[in-house]
Amino acid sequence: MKFNICAAKPEDCKDIARMIMELAVYEKMPDQVKISYKELEKDGFGPNPFYQCLVAEVPEEHKSKDGHTKVGYALFFYTYSTWKGRTVYMEDLYVMPEYRGKGMGKALMATVAKVAKEQHCVRLQFSVLDWNKPSLDFYLSKGAEDLTAKEGWHFLRFHGIALDNLAQEAP
Amino acid sequence: MGFIIRAATLEDCKDISRMILELAEYEKVSDQVKITQRDLEQDGFSKNPFFHGIIAEVPEDLKSKEGHTKVGYALYFYTYSSWKGRAVYMEDLYVMPEFRGKGIGKALMSKVSQLGLAAGCTQLNFTVLDWNKSSLDFYLKQGCWDVTSDLGYHCMRCEGVALEHLAQGDL
Repeated sequence: MKFNICAAKPEDCKDIARMIMELAVYEKMPDQVKISYKELEKDGFGPNPFYQCLVAEVPEEHKSKDGHTKVGYALFFYTYSTWKGRTVYMEDLYVMPEYRGKGMGKALMATVAKVAKEQHCVRLQFSVLDWNKPSLDFYLSKGAEDLTAKEGWHFLRFHGIALDNLAQEAP
Repeated sequence: MGFIIRAATLEDCKDISRMILELAEYEKVSDQVKITQRDLEQDGFSKNPFFHGIIAEVPEDLKSKEGHTKVGYALYFYTYSSWKGRAVYMEDLYVMPEFRGKGIGKALMSKVSQLGLAAGCTQLNFTVLDWNKSSLDFYLKQGCWDVTSDLGYHCMRCEGVALEHLAQGDL
């Protein structure tokens, strides 16, 4: 099946928001999605965007059961390693279930990696849920390392009241 | 002990580079540090910086055994959660051993969270090695939670040859 991978435009944000929710449902946490397409528009397309996004699109004749032609996306941003320098973090990678197995996920991820290399980034990082075996296996087979398993890295987070309390103590 | 917390400047890169190495030694991986003072200057202080820094400085009369007045730093950048929106990631938090226990680490972290909230962020994220019990205890005591332990997210990375192949689409 033919498809295109291209940089997202502001008008894609409704589709991206739809697919973000589909991914959250897959990850069993749909109640955690708090932002809408409006935040995506504001935060991704100003002079200092917080993220970059790629969209996978199919021709009209291959549109989904619900009439969508935007069938996958990858959302990423630039980060920094104080040991290695410029890096990219891939926040989301998603292809609608009826379009899987056609190389779109791989193409999206490869394009993120290509953009990363063009910007002289030396690492591509992301996270995977430990029960998500098909995704874990896919990434490991492409040469990714599981730093949590291998080196013991844990993600920690402050949010809500704990974040407010911490901020109030700033000098 | 009197200390100040302030934004890092270009002139601080020499001390930040020194402290990055000290932190890497503490994490038992000093041979992993590949970036230099010059990389920090270029990547942190150009038009589109990859990171921001905060410095903890003591007065001249309280300088370290080796004569340093810049005794701690935090390095952070803005990221994006497709569920929650704007977020801040704290890449490094470090205080020289002889200056610990005086509230400097807490003040640095509070400043990052204050700046993050001011920029519209709802999360402060970072990683900790699972054997680093003193740091883990410090963070958990401040009210953060362990996303890896609680939800099962693993940190994944592609670099070197694996990243090259990925970028070339050799999947």
